[in-house]
Amino acid sequence: MKIVLATPLYPPEIMEPAPYSKEVAKRLSLENEVTIVAYAHLPETISGVRILTIEKHQPRFIRLFSYFVTLLRTAHAGDVIYAVNGISVELPVALVALVTRRPLVFYIGDMAAHERTKRDPILRLIESFAFSCAKKIVTEAPLARPEILPFEPHPEKAFEAYEASWNSHLRHLIHVFNHVI
Amino acid sequence: MSSDITKDTWDAYCAKELRVLGPILQKLGYVLDTEQPHITGERYLMEAATNGRKLILLGRRMKDGIRVVIKTTPDPEGMRGLEHERDCRRILQKINFAYQIFLSPEELLFVKKGKRLIAIQRFIEQESTFIARPLKEQFALSLKAFKAQEAAHATTYGHKRLISRTFGFMDGRDYLDNFDKFVKNIERELPEESQLQRLLKKAKSFLLDNRETIEKYNGFLTHTDFVPHNFRVKGHDIYLLDHSSLRFGNKYEGWARFVNWMALYNPPLAEALIAYVGLNRTPEESLSLKLMRIYRLGEIIWYYTSTLKKCSGNLHLLNQERVRLWTNVLEAVLNNTEVSMEILDDYRQKRDVLRGEDEKIRQKDLH
Repeated sequence: MKIVLATPLYPPEIMEPAPYSKEVAKRLSLENEVTIVAYAHLPETISGVRILTIEKHQPRFIRLFSYFVTLLRTAHAGDVIYAVNGISVELPVALVALVTRRPLVFYIGDMAAHERTKRDPILRLIESFAFSCAKKIVTEAPLARPEILPFEPHPEKAFEAYEASWNSHLRHLIHVFNHVI
Repeated sequence: MSSDITKDTWDAYCAKELRVLGPILQKLGYVLDTEQPHITGERYLMEAATNGRKLILLGRRMKDGIRVVIKTTPDPEGMRGLEHERDCRRILQKINFAYQIFLSPEELLFVKKGKRLIAIQRFIEQESTFIARPLKEQFALSLKAFKAQEAAHATTYGHKRLISRTFGFMDGRDYLDNFDKFVKNIERELPEESQLQRLLKKAKSFLLDNRETIEKYNGFLTHTDFVPHNFRVKGHDIYLLDHSSLRFGNKYEGWARFVNWMALYNPPLAEALIAYVGLNRTPEESLSLKLMRIYRLGEIIWYYTSTLKKCSGNLHLLNQERVRLWTNVLEAVLNNTEVSMEILDDYRQKRDVLRGEDEKIRQKDLH
C-alpha cells in the first residue's frame, strides 16, 4: 500500500504529534511504501521513508500554498492520505483529497490544537470542512514511549504495554486503510 | 573601563562603587551585606565575558529583613545588559510557544537613579546547594530544566520574528564561525601548544563534517551558561538567576555546558545525562550533544587562554592548568571516552593549592 502521511509536526520538533508521526511512519514502512509531507527544515530521517518538507521559516500563506502543492503532487501516486490534525494541514489536505479523490483518513493526534480549534469559529469551520472530507477519523492513540532513566529499573512492563498499544494501533490503521481504499 | 582590567583596578572600582551605593540603597529601603562574595576572587577576570560592567551584591530589605540580590551599574553597556536580561525574563513568559514557564526570582525594584541602574530581586533561599543534593535528585532536576528549555522551539516565521527582537539566535554557520575564531585565537596566543593545536584542528573538522546535525537541532531555547551558580532550587522548582544567557540555538548547547561542567564537578551526573540521551533519543541527538560539547570546550579553552595575560602568580599557573584540563576533556570527548580520574584529581589538587582565599570564599555557596 502507498501511504501519504501529512503532518504538521515532525522531529526534531518534540511536541506531539511529531514523535507519533515519526513512529507511525517507521512502523508502517516495514510493509508499506510511506511518504511523509511535513513542515520542517531538516527532518530526522527514517530508513526507507521518503520525507518531503515545507520550510517553516516563510510567511503563513506561502507555506500553506507550498504544502498544498507538494501534497497534491505526492497524493496522486498514493493509495491513501493519512493526515494528522492541525490547522496548517487540515485545509490543504482536504482540498487535495477533493481534487485527487484519494481517500483521506484523519488522526486526531494533537489534542491541544483540536481544543484550540473549538474556541475559534474560523478554525472550527476549517476543521469541520476537513473532517467532512475524510472517510474515517481515528482517535485511538498508542501509548507514548516510556522513558528509560539511569537510576531506575528498566521499565520492562511499560515497554510491553507500549509495544502492545502500537501493534493494536497499526492493526486498526491497516484495517481502516483497507476499508476506505 | 577596558576588558583587560587587573585585580587592583577591579578592587578599586568595587570599593568606590560600594561607597557611592550605600546611601542610594538606604534611601530606597535596602542595606548591603558586609561580605560581598560575588565581587571578590576571580570575578574580575569574567568582565570580558559579561554584558558590560555590573556588580552583583547581596543585601536586605530594611522593612522586613528579606534577603535580596542587587545588580547595579553606571556603565551604559552594563545597563543595556540589565535591561536586556529583564526583557528576556518578560518575553519568555509571554511567548506562546514556551509551553512551560521558567521561574524567576521576584523583581522588587528596577530603577534608574541618576546615571546608575539598580535592579533588585528577591534572594532565593535553598535548602542545600545543587551539588550537595543526592545524585538522583540532581539528575531529575537537571533533566526537568533541560526539558523546560527544549519545550520552546522557534520553528515558524512568526516565532523567529518575535524572538529575534529579544533573544539572540545562533544557526549552524554561527557555531562554526565562532569555533573557527576560538581556534585562531588560541593558535595566536599559544603557538607552542602543539597537542592542543592538533586537537582543535581535529575538533574543527569534526564540527564541519557534521554541520547538518548542528543545524538540524537549532531553533530551541537554550541557556548557554546553565550551571549551578546560575540557578537555585527551592523545593522542586528551579529559579533561573541569569536570563541574559538565554538564546535560541542548538537544543544541546545548554546540555553541553552543563555536562562539561559536571565532567569536572560531578562525573557520574555527566555520565547519567549522556546515557539518558543515548537511551531515549535518536543517535543524531547524541551526536548533537557531542558536537555542542566540543564547541563549548573550544570556547572555555579560549576563555582561559585569554585570561593568561591578565593574571599573574598562582592565578596564572591555575589558568594554565585549566587550559590543560579542558584540553584533556576535549580529547576524551573526541575519542568517545571519559577523562580519567587521575587527571581530574590532579587538577583538583593543584586548583585547591593555587586558588586564592577570597576565591575559595566566593566559590563556597556558588554551586
